[in-house]
Amino acid sequence: MDPSFSTQTIQKVDTKKVKEMLNRRKGKMKRFLSHCAHCSLCAESCFLYMKHRKDPHYMPSYKVINSLGKLYRKRGKVDWKFLNEIKGIVWRNCVLCGRCYCPIGIHVPSMIAFTRSILRSQGVYPQRNEISAESWL
Amino acid sequence: MLDFIQGPLVSISIVVFILGLLFQVFQFFRLTRKKEWGNPPLPQPMKPEKKTIGQQIASWLSALNGTLWKTDPVLTVVTSVFHILLIITPLFLLGHNTLIRLSCGWSLFSLPESLSDGLTLIVLICGAYFLGRRLFLARVKAITTAYDYIMLLIAIAPFLTGFFAYHQWFDYETVILLHILTGELMLISIPFTKLGHMLFFFLYRFFIGGEYSFLRGSRSWSW
Ligand code: HEM
Ligand code: HEM
Ligand code: SF4
Ligand code: SF4
Repeated sequence: MDPSFSTQTIQKVDTKKVKEMLNRRKGKMKRFLSHCAHCSLCAESCFLYMKHRKDPHYMPSYKVINSLGKLYRKRGKVDWKFLNEIKGIVWRNCVLCGRCYCPIGIHVPSMIAFTRSILRSQGVYPQRNEISAESWL
Repeated sequence: MLDFIQGPLVSISIVVFILGLLFQVFQFFRLTRKKEWGNPPLPQPMKPEKKTIGQQIASWLSALNGTLWKTDPVLTVVTSVFHILLIITPLFLLGHNTLIRLSCGWSLFSLPESLSDGLTLIVLICGAYFLGRRLFLARVKAITTAYDYIMLLIAIAPFLTGFFAYHQWFDYETVILLHILTGELMLISIPFTKLGHMLFFFLYRFFIGGEYSFLRGSRSWSW
């Protein structure tokens, strides 16, 4: 992981709050996660995937499976380290441009945005010195 | 046990399949609501230009460039064929319709058996193609877990065992039992697993408004 992404001091995660947030939108989010055919057809619609020489880590489905998907699988029982691990996925690896196309109709940006708000609720978000130092392309 | 698989479980699986889908439709409408805001008025449609037949065909073909046909033509063909046959083959199958007529007194018409058999083979080939992608394509591998292989197997197994049964390969009694069991498994799992995309494809892309929806979208998620 990029070292500049983990410069904050360790904090305690309010797992109850995380769980509450996950539960509130699980009807939509868990269905999206469950109906993903894991087919990778969304890959080429993401410019970040294309610009990173088709690195699978930038595939829209990869990003939600490994951020929001993991949060649901762990039922919100996560620690500060974990939230910081997925921070890069939802802020750096996706810019929420909304261009990803899924034939089944899974709306990836809303899932990434939701993950961001969960992280933000726990004080995990890009620090001032991080984002501007990032070069995407 | 055998009697159960060949008797009541057939009806149970069909009932679970239908009620499961209805339950999911109900849940979908509970989780979404009618859009509160009106859609902005669309500009008046322009008078279509007169096109020659050649231009018309060219414009249809160029519209395909905006679809997956452009990025992955092979998969586009394979998945279209796979999904169409997945529905059509079992529905218009003599073996099935004979059984359905015996129990309901009525059934759909059937395709010739040799045709159905050929279509079954095509489904199996498409299944092999999906398996190959999963095994060898880096980007598919990156999001594949054991669950994906199991679901692919559940989708393909009725066709594989049906094919074996028709050709009387291996012990017929065992194969047809497996066929019925895998068929039931598939029906039961559709409403509750990733195969639920059969229903949700239509709900997501026709009812929810968005950049890629087929219609303007009359509903949005409540949460
Ligand atoms: C659930 C109860 C089911 C029963 C009782 C059943 C029964 C049968 C029977 C009796 C045959 C004829 C075998 C022969 O010709 O000797 C058959 C063939 C076949 N079944 Fe089913 N089936 C069931 C479910 C399914 C499902 C869910 C599918 C697929 C989605 C399916 C796909 C097929 C196919 C493709 C064949 C024909 C294979 C060929 O001709 O090459 N079946 N089935
Ligand atoms: C009737 C409406 C359906 C639609 C619109 C639909 C649409 C799709 C789409 C867009 C994909 C992703 C592209 C691909 O990998 O091929 C897909 C994958 C898949 N579908 Fe469907 N589907 C439908 C029904 C079904 C049914 C009834 C089944 C099986 C019971 C099924 C089994 C599968 C499987 C196994 C895959 C994944 C293939 C893989 O492993 O890569 N689909 N479907
Ligand atoms: S998000 Fe859609 S296109 Fe992407 S892998 Fe999942 S089902 Fe396929
Ligand atoms: S919203 Fe995110 S995942 Fe979708 S195309 Fe844009 S950067 Fe890629």
